[in-house]
Amino acid sequence: MYGWIWRHLPGNAWMRALISLVLVLAIVFVLFQYVFPWAEPLLPFNDVTVDEGMAGPR
Amino acid sequence: MRTRLIVRTLSEICVTVGALIILLVVYVLYWTSVRADRAMDGEIDHLQDRWATGTVTAGAEPSSEPRRYASGDSFAIMYIPRFGADWAKPVLEGTATGTLKKGLGHYSRTARLGALGNFAVAGHRRTYGDPFKDFPALRPGDAVVLTDGTTWFTYRVDRRPYRTLPTDTGVIDPVPRASGFRRPGRYLTLTTCEPEWGHSHRLITWAHLDATQSVAQGKPKAL
Repeated sequence: MYGWIWRHLPGNAWMRALISLVLVLAIVFVLFQYVFPWAEPLLPFNDVTVDEGMAGPR
Repeated sequence: MRTRLIVRTLSEICVTVGALIILLVVYVLYWTSVRADRAMDGEIDHLQDRWATGTVTAGAEPSSEPRRYASGDSFAIMYIPRFGADWAKPVLEGTATGTLKKGLGHYSRTARLGALGNFAVAGHRRTYGDPFKDFPALRPGDAVVLTDGTTWFTYRVDRRPYRTLPTDTGVIDPVPRASGFRRPGRYLTLTTCEPEWGHSHRLITWAHLDATQSVAQGKPKAL
């Protein structure tokens, strides 16, 4: 998979390394901005209230 | 060649999943706190600005008025000297997940600050700034000081943190169950999760209103 991506990036090795870095940063950004905020409430750290029916978080 | 491809793909998947898990841990342990600390400082600044410009809705007499706080808005700042001299967190209305990311959450069905009944507040013990990290360190006599911009309210903790089940809603009743309080009064309840990183139980602390003073009279002795 990574080899395949590497082979399909344009330019010489430096150019490819630079593009790879940008790709990694973009993926980390998407994860921190969108994916993890969605996944985090599924973890138990949000349960700090005593249940109030539907009023409280899970 | 075929085996080689399978082994390589499998290894790459393992490395990818490992990297994802590390990133998630970084997010949960570190990034949520960075974001929450920023949000909480923002709420406190916002409150202090509002109070400084004098647009405080007069709540000087802590009567049992039926007015409610606006959902999701901050309305008070809490200080707990036991958690550190610089420990100050905003209190917001409601206990929705999004609200608790910006500060402590006031159970909207419980009493107003300083009013007759039980002023109940929930907060994160871990992640999102760890506001209640030192919760088990609370001891009888510890001060929990709150201000709504016009009045300082000093509550005193009555007993060591009490461990209970998440379904035990009686602990935030006007006269909280198991608190040892017998008669109606002006109480405060704090709730957080127990164990520290889990959600199987809740940790509860009760306090009673010990003193109130106007903001004009300066900070209370407890701070």
